[in-house]
Amino acid sequence: MRDILRMIVVLTIIGAVSGLALAAMSRLTAGPIEYQTIKFVKEPAVKKVLTGYDNDPILDRKRLELGTDSQGRPVELTVFPAKKGDEIFAVAVEGTGKGFHGQIGVMVGVSKEGKILDIGITSHSETPGIGSRVTETSYTDRYRGLPAKKGVTVDAVSGATYSSKGVVAAVNEAAELVEKFKKEIF
Amino acid sequence: MATLREEFTKGLWRTIPPFRLVLGLCPTLAVTTSGINGLGMGLATTFVLVFSNLFVSLLRRFIPSQVRIASFIVIIASFVVIVELVMQAYFYPLFKILGIFIPLIVVNCIILGRAEAFASKNGPVMSLADGLGIGLGFTISLSVLGLIREFLGAGTLLNISVLWEGFEPFAFMLKPPGAFVALGILLGFMNLISQIQARKGGGR
Repeated sequence: MRDILRMIVVLTIIGAVSGLALAAMSRLTAGPIEYQTIKFVKEPAVKKVLTGYDNDPILDRKRLELGTDSQGRPVELTVFPAKKGDEIFAVAVEGTGKGFHGQIGVMVGVSKEGKILDIGITSHSETPGIGSRVTETSYTDRYRGLPAKKGVTVDAVSGATYSSKGVVAAVNEAAELVEKFKKEIF
Repeated sequence: MATLREEFTKGLWRTIPPFRLVLGLCPTLAVTTSGINGLGMGLATTFVLVFSNLFVSLLRRFIPSQVRIASFIVIIASFVVIVELVMQAYFYPLFKILGIFIPLIVVNCIILGRAEAFASKNGPVMSLADGLGIGLGFTISLSVLGLIREFLGAGTLLNISVLWEGFEPFAFMLKPPGAFVALGILLGFMNLISQIQARKGGGR
């Protein structure tokens, strides 16, 4: 009996101490991990769509509360501002749209004047060689200079209509959000 | 009773893990596609090994022998998660490359093997020396293996191109079979050196 008690107590203590230590560690590293993830996943796209800034858009990122979704969870939008001096002259915002195989994430750079600077695909799982052609600059360049508001359209890549539609939807989502929250962003 | 120095140095040659103990082969074969990957994996394993050895040794009198394996695994797993979090926070590209093999350090036989065979029977200082020695041995093995495979398979050393232009790399060396071949050849060389040493030492 004493043996069993001892086993239970020792294992419980070891488990509890490990749990506490790991919880503390997880808290300590949460900030850096978030920064690193954004830096390595989103930064290439942010760098592509924004130019001529002198700040770190990843470090200066802002979170906007957009209200709640149908299940009552808060919806947030992360905005990457490009600053010259201290003035924000453009932002990068990510939108998503449904492609041929799941969601396509698109980073959209929008200038203060409401023009699309450039777009960059952050994530997609389109068919390599067919749908994936929407990630090429020959396609993404078609968005340059279009007004950033609802109803953006460009010609689709032939043979990749669904993927193109997904990108258009994503760009529209991002453009609409920037237009809607213009005051909060700039 | 072996001295502290012996416990430390045995891991560097006499019982160097992947070659002499032939333990921990899963990460040895899987992640050594470049010198940096091997080094990163080796250092992560060393960290876990040193601290799990230390704590197992400190707690060896409190842990009932019936539940010792469970306790060791909890201790080891905790340090593995710490390594994983730190790597994700500060060495993100390496974290991405090593991927699933970081959590798999938990099931690396070297670590549980040292906890069971050494740290649970020896004092904390000895266990630290043992963990550090075996860990560094593992790191060196993985780095050397990684450098050889990187050199032959990609023509680079630590991501710097060292061979002439137009060199056609043996892509085979970066594939899993290449790992076996490189490991086998290295093991062969080590046995050769040991044999020569033994002959010199009076044919032991």
